[in-house]
Amino acid sequence: MASLIMQMLEGTVTSLRIFFLTLLFSLPLGFVVAKGKMTSIRPIRWITDLYIQIMRGTPLILQLIFFYFAPFYIFGTSYDRFTACIVAFVVNYSAYFAEIYRSGLQSIDRGQHEASKVLGFTKPYTFFHIVLPQVIKKIMPSLGNEVITLVKDTALAQTIGVAELFRVAQTASSREFSTIPIFIAGIFYFVMNYIVSRLFAVAERKLDYYR
Amino acid sequence: MEKMINLENLSKSFGETKVIRNISFTIDKGEVLSIIGPSGSGKSTMLRIITQLERADDGTLTVDGDTLFRSVDGKAVYDRENERKIGLKTGLVFQSFNLFPHFSVLRNVMEAQRAVLKRGKDEAEAKAMALLRKMGLEDKARMYPFQLSGGQQQRVSIARALALDPKILFFDEPTSALDPELTREILHVIRALAEEKMTMAVVTHEMHFAKAISDNAIFMDGGVIVEEGTSLFSDPKEERTRRFIASFENE
Ligand SMILES: Nc1ncnc2c1ncn2[C@@H]1O[C@H](COP(=O)(O)OP(=O)(O)OP(=O)(O)O)[C@@H](O)[C@H]1O
Ligand SMILES: [Mg+2]
Repeated sequence: MASLIMQMLEGTVTSLRIFFLTLLFSLPLGFVVAKGKMTSIRPIRWITDLYIQIMRGTPLILQLIFFYFAPFYIFGTSYDRFTACIVAFVVNYSAYFAEIYRSGLQSIDRGQHEASKVLGFTKPYTFFHIVLPQVIKKIMPSLGNEVITLVKDTALAQTIGVAELFRVAQTASSREFSTIPIFIAGIFYFVMNYIVSRLFAVAERKLDYYR
Repeated sequence: MEKMINLENLSKSFGETKVIRNISFTIDKGEVLSIIGPSGSGKSTMLRIITQLERADDGTLTVDGDTLFRSVDGKAVYDRENERKIGLKTGLVFQSFNLFPHFSVLRNVMEAQRAVLKRGKDEAEAKAMALLRKMGLEDKARMYPFQLSGGQQQRVSIARALALDPKILFFDEPTSALDPELTREILHVIRALAEEKMTMAVVTHEMHFAKAISDNAIFMDGGVIVEEGTSLFSDPKEERTRRFIASFENE
């Protein structure tokens, strides 16, 4: 029993690592991708667009398998499962975040940029002090949805053998002839997402002082 | 009289469409110029070129003695050194206010003073409060734009522009988004500024107001100045001007 709890704790830590590492890299990278999709340089726009289409148009499971096995078939070397899993998640989630950022950036009235220009703000100042705060407020709800999806998607890491919580739970279930480990895992995802949605609700309320 | 604005032979196209064709005019210091004309005649484009939101194709523009661009071989060549300097001398009030929704009224009026002119907090705040007082909005300083009426928002945006001490202030249909009651509020403010000898150029459809405050007026149509001078309100010489003015009297 004690060893089962230890195993499940380890699985939980792995799931949380996937979750936080994905956010750490894909939240900023999504911005770069959004900029790429909004640039006036056509080839960059086309490539970014194709990348987003592929990421959104194919299953994450498939992308995980691709990022795990492709280096082996192409270069004859492989890297560890966990790294492959993070790469796949980051590449996938950057595309989704990029689309959210893009819609947020485009929703900002042109008049905000023009007023900033006429008042003499520099471009970086306009971006960080005028545009970004408004974008963040606008995208909070869609960002919340995406992060909640990510919590559940971490379970897909087992496809390439990463011992995240759900895989540990499944293995334990078949060994012990009991569904309790899976049930416990379910509670974890639920609690995790409860926390995530509370946090986003707080953030949205904090930004509610203006319209 | 010294010239605040000296514009010669300005031209501007969007793609194939010529929007401004060879326009010239001057604005003296302390003068109020009103610009009237039908929709699409190029009024906004002209203001946007002087306030550097658009770039000129050809022509020469001098603002308060500094040249922004000059015509060289049929092309407007900009003086990069002067772009920022002139930008600080010109202010623009928009039809749609364009206040920053995430800043309080006070911060809307303080932000550029702090970030652009690098004024200290106390100085910027004192200046902002004085301007808000002048606009009758002292008690609204801590509110956010969405809590104000359109007329109040427009007055904040005027205060925001004035906070940088521009040499000339441009208005692009400042009352077109407002109902008659609120329009009067704004016209009152502009009139008060005119009495203080603030140099201004106002695009407007308020003919009576324009006639009352203007030292000079231009009527634009199809990207050209058809007629110039305040007499165009009471005694238009050109047929096109006459028809345009008459269309307002019928209202
Ligand atoms: N960014 C742009 N791209 C293409 N065409 C433009 C652009 N801005 C303005 N135009 C065109 O230029 C012409 C003049 O527009 P402008 O906005 O200067 O007119 P206006 O006199 O201000 O009209 P209104 O009274 O409706 O505001 C119009 O035909 C308009 O469609
Ligand atoms: Mg216009």
